[in-house]
This record gives sequence, structure tokens and C-alpha cells, in this order.
Amino acid sequence: MARVFHPLERFAPAPTAFHLLPFRFTRLDGKELLVNEAGEYIFVPNGTVENLANEQVDTNSELYQDLRAKHFVYDDCSSPLLDILATKVRTKFDHISGGTKLHIFVVTLRCEHSCDYCQVSRQTASRGEFDMSTSTADRAISMMMDSPARDITLEIQGGEPLLAFDVIQYIIPRAKTVALQRGKNLDIVVCSNLACVTDDILKYFRDEGVKVSTSLDGPAFLHNKNRPRPGHNSYEKAIEGIERSRAILGIENVAALMTTTAASLDHVIEIVDEYVRREFHSIFLRPISPYGFALKTRHRTGYEMGRFLEFYRKGLAHVLKVNRSGYRIAEVYTQILLTKILTPHGSRYVDMQSPAGEAWNVLVYNYDGDVYASDESRMLAETNDRTFRLGNVHKDTRRTIFTHEPALRMFQTSCNQALAGCSDCAFQSYCAADPVYHYATQGDMYGYRATSGFCSRNMQVIRHLFSIIAEDDRETMRILWSWITGQSVHGEVVECA
Amino acid sequence: MDQFDKMRSPDESQAIVEINLAIISAEALLKTSHWFSRDFVCEIRTRNEHIVDVLLTPRSATSASELELARQSFISSAMDFALREKIEAKTSGIRDLLLAKAFSESGVLEDQPEGLFGDRVEEAKPDGMFKILSNPRH
Repeated sequence: MARVFHPLERFAPAPTAFHLLPFRFTRLDGKELLVNEAGEYIFVPNGTVENLANEQVDTNSELYQDLRAKHFVYDDCSSPLLDILATKVRTKFDHISGGTKLHIFVVTLRCEHSCDYCQVSRQTASRGEFDMSTSTADRAISMMMDSPARDITLEIQGGEPLLAFDVIQYIIPRAKTVALQRGKNLDIVVCSNLACVTDDILKYFRDEGVKVSTSLDGPAFLHNKNRPRPGHNSYEKAIEGIERSRAILGIENVAALMTTTAASLDHVIEIVDEYVRREFHSIFLRPISPYGFALKTRHRTGYEMGRFLEFYRKGLAHVLKVNRSGYRIAEVYTQILLTKILTPHGSRYVDMQSPAGEAWNVLVYNYDGDVYASDESRMLAETNDRTFRLGNVHKDTRRTIFTHEPALRMFQTSCNQALAGCSDCAFQSYCAADPVYHYATQGDMYGYRATSGFCSRNMQVIRHLFSIIAEDDRETMRILWSWITGQSVHGEVVECA
Repeated sequence: MDQFDKMRSPDESQAIVEINLAIISAEALLKTSHWFSRDFVCEIRTRNEHIVDVLLTPRSATSASELELARQSFISSAMDFALREKIEAKTSGIRDLLLAKAFSESGVLEDQPEGLFGDRVEEAKPDGMFKILSNPRH
């Protein structure tokens, strides 16, 4: 016998009026997309926002129930549950708690490669005066440990840091000792092109628990074109170094990153396939940085950005296809944005944070003791623009670095919540402010979003991802969720938003 | 109601949009112009106390049909910014409350926010499930 339930009104009478909770909106694929302060979203029919503004939404409708459940409205029968919403907002901003976590040590400017996009900082391999001294290393370690963060990542890079292996051997044990004294958890990563790596170096890294991050720009023709070196064998050296590193450190302790140059833009399929062939399970289709090479071509930025977006869309489609065929590989840019869109969490990726990650979440200690807000800031300084030089480890403390004019000037433009063009943007919770990028490309930390490559790229990528979400293809969503959770693609899909 | 009448343009390569400031505020108009100024020079001319004209001059060669699409897009965009203002006016108070709540409890604020904060629905209930935060000085 069928059971009959009392009508809903018996348990909860329909509200007679409702109130709005704060949200922003945009139009996408014939619908309105609403996003609240915590980054939760809802697709609604066109005209809904106007009806909400005029308080003309039927409180008995399914649409109203959805809006209420997702914190866009509240009424006399419901609490706005501000505590919960406030907790979600706080979770989204978790990256600003705890202090600077990533500390990059540029142990040398020497490099035996001559890549176009970082030639500003390259020095010849034999010039030892561009190595970090022991006294500078001591001061940098001390300043790094002054960060209130409990979990510290020490990233050692160059130039090519393995050319200054003696400096690395000096820094690692001292950093570990100080970390132990101050109760910090310390992760150490060495970023190397691996061209000069030896088994002895790798065994040292293994014994010290050091991870390796290297560069792989794609197949040989592309990698070697991007990364010229004597012998024209950068690719062969990188592959050999990856294999040796995996054998000694373990496959999970060796990562690769790519740089997207103009030469890469027509070869995204080959790049993805190279990563699959080399058994990597993540690939970061990173946009070109507006420094070095790209700065020289800034007048063509719009064109380049349009080409990058085509590169990204094509690459993402291919990565999804590879996943459907059974090989798990995540695209990291997508993973970062979807984590913000589909979960309560923000991002640890410093380039996609608001307040901007520069200084708050990353500090760069140059070989000469100068402290910069990011690696890009340091590269600007190599072209004699020291706008983002925050101080020097021999003269400053963490407090003075954060309270002196260079940092304060940057912080004023670090929150997209307060920037023209961003303050009304529906994608504000997912996007970022990047004063260094805007200074480098537009000559102004504040930036002008209407012509900003950063804004254009993120807006279009986020719109693309929302189009995929709106399509709601079950298999695609399973794959995307597996990137966010790190779980098997066969796991149950949990609808979060 | 179509308060935007296409007016005769002094130059066929330009478009004029008439804006009634009673419907679209100056701030919404400026925000719209901000985004359009990538592709157009947006010149705002005051006709009288209530009406302004926006003269859109393309920065690069633009066909008549593209210009008409831009004019329509400008109107839609201005209407959306006006709608955003309306939403913000209705929600700015609770937004401030929400952010104060989120960050005061995180311990990042040196001082407690001024005033008494609460949810009027919950506060009306003697056994409300939460009281937000109250300034101890009150």
C-alpha cells in the first residue's frame, strides 16, 4: 500500500518574504551564474537576478529552495546560518593564515643553459661570485624560520643550483637543525634541469629526504628548442636525469614542470603525450610569464593570450581524452581552479591567491641576500627594476621587510575584492590579484583589467570550466573530481555545489 | 521601457548611447565604460541633469553591424551593473557582518569590530541557535 505523507506546509509553512545574502553574478550560455562570498555557485534561468532584486521569486518554487539551500537567500523560516557561511568564507581564505610557507633560495645565478625566457638572470657557469655565501645562507635560513608558518617549504633553485652543490650541502643540514629547534616541519625541493646531476648528488638528496622538480617542455624537438645548451642535448640530459632520479629517490619524489613558449603553442598534444610517455601523472599547462621573452613581445600579448587559451582548451580536452582511455593524468591549472569552484577550499598556488601570494606566501632570497616578493620580482630586478625588492637578509628582519614601503605599496593592490573590474566580478572568489604581473605588463601594480592578460586568461579559463560543469557529463565530472580529491576515477562522485 | 534611443551620430564610425541617470547610475555607467574602453573610447557627455550620452568610438576598424552589437552590449552591460548595485544595496550590511564574523574568529583582527552584530531572525528567537558576536564594551 502506498504511503501518503502530509503536505510540506504541515511541517514548514512557506515563508511570506525573503532576504538576500550577498552574491555576484554573470551570464553564461543563456543562463545566469550566481556566486556567493564563499564561492558557492548556482546556475539559474535568465531573469532570476532581477526577480531576486525585486523580491519576486516564488518561495514555494524549487528554484527558491535551491537558492536558500546554497546561501543566496534566507527567510523567516530559515536562519541565514551566518556561522556556517562565515566558516566557508574563512576556509576559502585559509591561505592567508600562518604566514609565509614557501621560501625560495636562489643559490646561484650560474647556468649552463641559455634559455631565451630567463636569459636576464643567466651567468656563465664558471663565475663563482654569483653563488650564495655561507653568511647570506645563514641569515636567509634565520629569516625563513622567523615566519610564523609551522610548515615550511624550502625550494632551492638558480640559475642551475647543482652548479653550486657545495652551497646546497651547506644549507640543507643547517636549515634542518634550525627547523628542529623552532618546531617547524621542513620540506625541501631542489629545482634543477638535471643536466649535471650525478648519482652521488641524488644519493645525498635521498638521504636528506629532498625532492626534485625539473623542467620538461615536451618532446625533444621542442624541449631542445626552448632550452639551448652546449651539445644541444637538454632533452636527452633531462630524460636521463629523470630516470636516474626516479631510480634513486623514488618516482613520487620527482616532478616536472613545463614552460609554454610561443614555440609550444602549436604542440600541446605532443606535450601531453610526452608527459604520458614519461609516466607523469600531472601536467601544468602554465601560461607564459610576462618576463624575459614575453615582456619583449608584450605588444602582442592579446594575440599570445588568445593563442594560449586555444592551447589550454585543446590541451585540457586531450588530457581528458587520455584519462578516459584509462591513464590518470591531472591538469594542474584546472585542478587549482576546480578546487576553488567545487570545494570550500582555496589554493596554495601563490599565483592564484587574493590577497596575492607575493610575500604573504612566498619569499625569494637571492644569492646576494636581497629579498624579493616572488621569483618574477627577482627576474625584474635582474633588469635593474628593483620595485619588488623588499629588503636584504643582512640589514632587515621579517618585520621590517613586511612594514617597509615596497611591501606596503604592493599590499595595497593585493586584494581583488578592492580592485576596479574585480570587485563586481562573479569569478572573484576563484581568481586572484597579481600586482607583480600587472606592474610588469602594464607598468602599474593596480592594473587595468579591461586589457589585462591575467584577467582575460583567468576569466576565459573559468568560463570554460563552468561550461564543462554545466554540461555535467558524468564521466568527465568523475575525472575532474579525481583530480581534486586524488582519489580513483572510479570513486563515487560527490556533488558539492 | 526603452530608455536608450539610438541617436544620430556625427560620424558613422561612432555610436551614441543615451543613458537615463534615474535608471543607470553614474557609477554603473563608469563601470560599464571601464570594460568597454578596451575596444572603444567612451566619451560621456552630459545633456541635462537626467540624461547623458555616451559616444563610443572604436579603437580599430569596426563595421556598422559590429558597432550596433557593441551599442546593444553596452546597454545590457550597463543594466547588469545597475542590477549589481541593487543587489549590493540590499546585501552590503550582511556582507560586512559575514566578513567580520569570518575574520574576527580567525584571530587576524587586532580589534573586535565595533557595534553589536547579529542575525535579526535568530536574535528575535529567545532560544536562537546562534548569537553572532557582540562587542564586550556594549
